[in-house]
Amino acid sequence: MRNLKKILIIMILIPSSLLSAGDYNSGKEKSQICAACHGVDGISQIKTYPILAGQHKNYLVHSLKGYRSGERKNIIMKGFAENLSDQDIEDLSVYFSMQKGLTIPPLK
Amino acid sequence: MSNNIYADEFAIGKAKSETCLGCHAIPGYNNVYPTYKVPKLAGQHADYIVSALKAYQNNERQHPTMHANAMGLSEQDMKDIAKYFESLK
Repeated sequence: MRNLKKILIIMILIPSSLLSAGDYNSGKEKSQICAACHGVDGISQIKTYPILAGQHKNYLVHSLKGYRSGERKNIIMKGFAENLSDQDIEDLSVYFSMQKGLTIPPLK
Repeated sequence: MSNNIYADEFAIGKAKSETCLGCHAIPGYNNVYPTYKVPKLAGQHADYIVSALKAYQNNERQHPTMHANAMGLSEQDMKDIAKYFESLK
């Protein structure tokens, strides 16, 4: 019974910790295609395209999954996001979130 | 003179952005269902912010709170708000 509990706990913990981490270096590599519009390091020079640098990681994940599912409607981003796995999305989001860029506006 | 115009635009944009700050200026503040942090806006391109607000307005981007907020904004309001956030670099 104790062993069963341990196994269950391990089963719950391991996949979530492995899958949700996101890998910075993989993200950097995968981000090359994004750079054409969003700029190197996520600072876009085209003003209609958002700066990604420094954005919250889980907001980037939410955005990419929204484009992939079509819930967030954008024909260009859908084309790119459709080819991304959950792991790709995690990796890219870690990479862009760790670049210097966007900040939280001051309250006053 | 040009500095005064700039200062006025900044003040107008800042005043119109007050509602936004209730969520977007709180560090670590989360959207829920699903959970993710409310996006950072300081330093973002104004043109993109305007396009995002319009997408919320016409439900190309679905978010009930942002839809409600965007519905109350004129084109000029959107530009003023967007310029304010862009200026915060």
